[in-house]
Amino acid sequence: MPRIRLENIVKRFGTVAAADDLSLTVNDGEYLCILGPTGAGKTTCMRIICGLTDPDSGHVYFDDRDVTRLEVNMREATMLSQVYSLFPQMNVYENVMFGPLIKEWDEESSRQMVKNIFHMVHMEERVNAYPNELSGGQQQRIALARALASGSKILLLDEPLRALDARLRLELRKELRSMVKEMGLTAVHVTHDQEEALEMADRIAVIRDGRIIQVGTPKEVFEEPKTPFVANFVGRSNMIEGVIASAEGDVATVTGNGGTVFKARYTDRAVGSKVLVAVKIGNTKISLTEDGYFKGRIERKLYEGATITVEVNVPDIGTVSVKLPNRKFDDFEIDDEVSVNWSPEKAFVFDYPENGLEDELRVD
Amino acid sequence: MTKIKLEHITMRFGNIFAVRDINLEVQSGEYVTILGPSGCGKTTLIKVIAGILTPTEGRVFIDGNEVNDIPIEDRDVGYVFQNIALFPHMDIMDNVGYGQRVRNASEEDTVAISNEYLELVKMLDRSGYIPSELSGGEQQKVALARALASGSKMLMLDEPLSALDARVRVELRYDIRRLVKRLGITVLHVTHDQEEAMSVSDRIVLMRNGTIFETGTPLEIYRHPRSIFAAYFIGETNLIECSVAQKSKNGKTTVRLRDGSMVKAGKSIYSVGDPVVISVRPEHVYTATDGLRAVVKDIVFMGTYWRVRTEADSEDYVEYNISADSQVPMRGDEVFLVFNKKASVVFARPYEGIWEAIRLE
Amino acid sequence: MSLIKRIDELSSKRNFKRGWFGLVCAVFVFLIIIPAIYVLFEAVAEWDAVSDVLNDASAMSTIWTAVYNSFSIAFIVTIIDIIVGLPMAWIMVRKQFAGKKYIDTLIDMPLAVPTAVLGISVVMFWGAPSGVTIPGLGWVLTPYLMMVLLHIIFTYPYMVRSLSAILEQIDPNYETAGMTLGASRFTAARTITLPLFRAGLTTGFILCFARSLSETGGTFIALEMMGMSNVFFTGPTYIQVYKATSMGPVILISVIMIILAILLLFVAKYIMNKVRIPWSRVWPKWERKISRGLAVRSRDVITMGVLLFIVLIPAFYIFTYMTASGAPVNYGDLTLAIATSFLIAGIAVVFDVVFGIPMAMYIARHGDTRLGRALDNLVNVPLIIPTTALGVSLSLFWGHFDLSSFTLLLVVLGHISFTYPLMVRNIIGAMEEVDVSYEEVALTLGAKPFQAFRKVLLPIIKSSVIAGGILAFTRSLGETGATVAISSTVMTAPIYIMNLVKAGSITGDYYAAAISSIILIVICFILMFMVRRVTRDKEGNE
Repeated sequence: MPRIRLENIVKRFGTVAAADDLSLTVNDGEYLCILGPTGAGKTTCMRIICGLTDPDSGHVYFDDRDVTRLEVNMREATMLSQVYSLFPQMNVYENVMFGPLIKEWDEESSRQMVKNIFHMVHMEERVNAYPNELSGGQQQRIALARALASGSKILLLDEPLRALDARLRLELRKELRSMVKEMGLTAVHVTHDQEEALEMADRIAVIRDGRIIQVGTPKEVFEEPKTPFVANFVGRSNMIEGVIASAEGDVATVTGNGGTVFKARYTDRAVGSKVLVAVKIGNTKISLTEDGYFKGRIERKLYEGATITVEVNVPDIGTVSVKLPNRKFDDFEIDDEVSVNWSPEKAFVFDYPENGLEDELRVD
Repeated sequence: MTKIKLEHITMRFGNIFAVRDINLEVQSGEYVTILGPSGCGKTTLIKVIAGILTPTEGRVFIDGNEVNDIPIEDRDVGYVFQNIALFPHMDIMDNVGYGQRVRNASEEDTVAISNEYLELVKMLDRSGYIPSELSGGEQQKVALARALASGSKMLMLDEPLSALDARVRVELRYDIRRLVKRLGITVLHVTHDQEEAMSVSDRIVLMRNGTIFETGTPLEIYRHPRSIFAAYFIGETNLIECSVAQKSKNGKTTVRLRDGSMVKAGKSIYSVGDPVVISVRPEHVYTATDGLRAVVKDIVFMGTYWRVRTEADSEDYVEYNISADSQVPMRGDEVFLVFNKKASVVFARPYEGIWEAIRLE
Repeated sequence: MSLIKRIDELSSKRNFKRGWFGLVCAVFVFLIIIPAIYVLFEAVAEWDAVSDVLNDASAMSTIWTAVYNSFSIAFIVTIIDIIVGLPMAWIMVRKQFAGKKYIDTLIDMPLAVPTAVLGISVVMFWGAPSGVTIPGLGWVLTPYLMMVLLHIIFTYPYMVRSLSAILEQIDPNYETAGMTLGASRFTAARTITLPLFRAGLTTGFILCFARSLSETGGTFIALEMMGMSNVFFTGPTYIQVYKATSMGPVILISVIMIILAILLLFVAKYIMNKVRIPWSRVWPKWERKISRGLAVRSRDVITMGVLLFIVLIPAFYIFTYMTASGAPVNYGDLTLAIATSFLIAGIAVVFDVVFGIPMAMYIARHGDTRLGRALDNLVNVPLIIPTTALGVSLSLFWGHFDLSSFTLLLVVLGHISFTYPLMVRNIIGAMEEVDVSYEEVALTLGAKPFQAFRKVLLPIIKSSVIAGGILAFTRSLGETGATVAISSTVMTAPIYIMNLVKAGSITGDYYAAAISSIILIVICFILMFMVRRVTRDKEGNE
């Protein structure tokens, strides 16, 4: 079954590089999410894999076979777009049977296969309906069924859940992944939603400005970010600037604005280098009683359901956000003075970005 | 002071009722979110308030005055559309100044007010751009400034963030709330995203199929939902069919699950033998040395915690969380689950079945 | 392997697509464009004959007057169409009311009536020419005014359709947004929707102007019935009258009209792009007044009134002739003439479909490339050139290849030339609504390009292809000028009727002409209704 490899892909549209020396590997049977903000080049990447867009340079390999110049219909990589694109003049059954019909498979066995697929997507009752009679979630399932019935071993999903209600998305995440796994397909799923990527992916590839900046399991990408952007995009992080004061053992000591001192992971950067320390808001702790690196006043308390976010205003440093389980809601009040703390190994040290912090973290 | 009041509002399109007999009051300066799945009628409500739709039945009051006969342009209700609707042929400055201009305000006043509101949304340095040159989030900020610059004290937000990236949504929703609170604007914000509703509202109004299911502060609705739909739609929860086994004098209920195991829950009004459903959120399920036996089916990394999906002996699927630093169970492991008594809510078992009761479309 | 399968296979190859498109372009340029403008070269080749005319003062004055008449009538008619068509387009797109479907059909009806017939009907209604036994209003009108009234009728549908098409694409939320900001409906429409309207106005302007410029049959017949056909000329009727005598003046006037028409095309586009419709000045008080109540209702009444009294009733007044009597109709000759018209129209439409769809697809998908834009403009050329001049040019061109004896073939080529742009424009409009992702998904599901086209795209645009086909068919059916310019022997239905009118103006009996016209109209109607059934069925499903 196919493995996908993109090698040094470059694609420009005018002056914009949608793919800028992009390389990526997808393993057999893997569910890979390409995660990044709008405009990062995710869709271009997918279109190059299935052949709808030709790269300016670079190669695409399926199982070590160079398919860069192979026509779309020969690649067996089916795409699921975010607008579903169900053929409006055909009913649900005809839509799903499109693949088998085109490939001229035996009618009887195709019919049986399609019947099984309809059962898997819970759409047996609507086989005679037309696309415009279906709800968003139903259309999504039919689009998936159509892709599954085509016999392709590679499934490319272009923000498939984007057009759905938030609650429906949660339901379909589970269904989508399990169906893909059950059929043993290799999936490349493009999204801007890091929660979706965390929940669905075997591996996540973070993309920005046409380049893959980090690939890893959800845990790796979340807990070991390689750049400040990844640190803040996959799970929010507090970003605190400072200067290296010293480093020994497992711990580095950093001096922040206003004379604050805090600890981070060991780094071999020179003493005096300007750095950015990133701590996930879920790993930042506050306390009314115990000591910490610095103190601040609670400015805002946001109830989010299962979690709460508390924003603390720390003089000279700015706003520090803290994510806590909801049972802590009554522990803190606005204007309380709290100390802020974290374990050093949860705090990452990055070089202070040349273009400035705002540019580095920009998601728009 | 009641700013907006809806009395017995019904909106019918042919044979379809978009909303039926809605009664609602919004106080001045309040940030109310109207939350519900697509098609529940939430957008219809704010369109009725703004005057874009005329209700089939019922009356709309603004500041105590009935406004049914007052056309859109005289109602002074700001509106931000889902697809943004910035005038494509005007630059940002002219877009924001439109409200003043159509009132024949002087040129200096129009420019001054436009500058003021563009500054508030931090878009002043882009005032010469046209909408197509801005990103989605930026356009939405301008739409907000435009609605406020016309002088309205009320703002209807029609799924303002749905078209934006997840990350942009999170940042923009805080910005919006900060701004309107500062200006003392009364806001009705329509959305299908419960996380969004929870994080910005003073009060949530939950709608389904054209009627209001329940209202309350985010805290109230999350902790004490009054229906299975609310429990399921807002946040995540495990829903388990069971029946009342025991009832203590102060109302504390013990339920019997399908396989016979007994689980203690909170207070309820039901009697022994009643068929019920128990709702317990994943963060309120813990593992112990004894309890409801379950087999681990899947473990998913969610960032600061792991979500463990299990199938219990009672044939129910139960999910719970463990912190990211803890030891993660493997697929097929056996665990014993207990529920936080106080946080477990008991509902009557819906006659149409759980899945019909929570169905989203 | 069947033919279709073979095409499927071929379409996979990258070069096949390019080759096929190259063929379409070549056919378009060599079969349509070059013959259409050939008369310009001929004028240079036959400079002696032309310069003779240029030196003949009285001939020149007749020519300039004819050109002036054509262009000024077209201009006035188009402006009137904009003024009365805009409110109608508004009502059709934005308002809901009972009977809307019927009004929709009524607006298109004038398209089903061959303009030759319209000439008879209009003159009967407004004037009372001698020999007409059914009295109309009996007003004495100058030929100029009569022509204006006539031309409004068949250009009106083009304007309303163009404006409606654009209006439908403009999101009504823009106006609603304006109103929530405090603008009255009229202010919002004027400052927000109207500036976004430009493309629709340009298209409508070009289509109406071109249609009016081309019109020959009805104009000639009307003038004939008023006894003015040797005194008052438009460009096309001049060609028609003088074609038999000498080529010099005919070539010259054709050249003048073609050059002016093409110039106009570019000037119109340029002006429409540059003109800024003022939106910064506001007059809240009175704009509010005309947004509501009495003002709106009277506007609607006037709009409907115009449709009824200026467009529909004059157009169908000829039906009153069914109660009259006169010399009998030669049904044999009439049937032959109608059959000839159908044959020509049928072949033209088939060509238009086969070669028009690829062209339309290219322009719709690649409209922002240089080639796309160039083709977009080129396709408009045969549209704007008056069809009579087009006919002259064509017969001169093919005459050089000694094909002048194949007059029927040449007439077909002529009809292809001016119907092709109609088909292409229609399909471009449809394609712009179709998401390219349908075909793309089909490709990723394993379909070869031609398979994706015929199984996915074609069903979606089918109703537009049919609508375009009918538009082209009825346009060809009604055409007189080009046919006459190319051949004096081919007898199409409009020419047959024209001859009957000529005879009738001598004998004073228009009965045969009128009845033949009525029969022709009824046939066209049946066609039109059949098509609407098909297209509405599709819409019902969607």
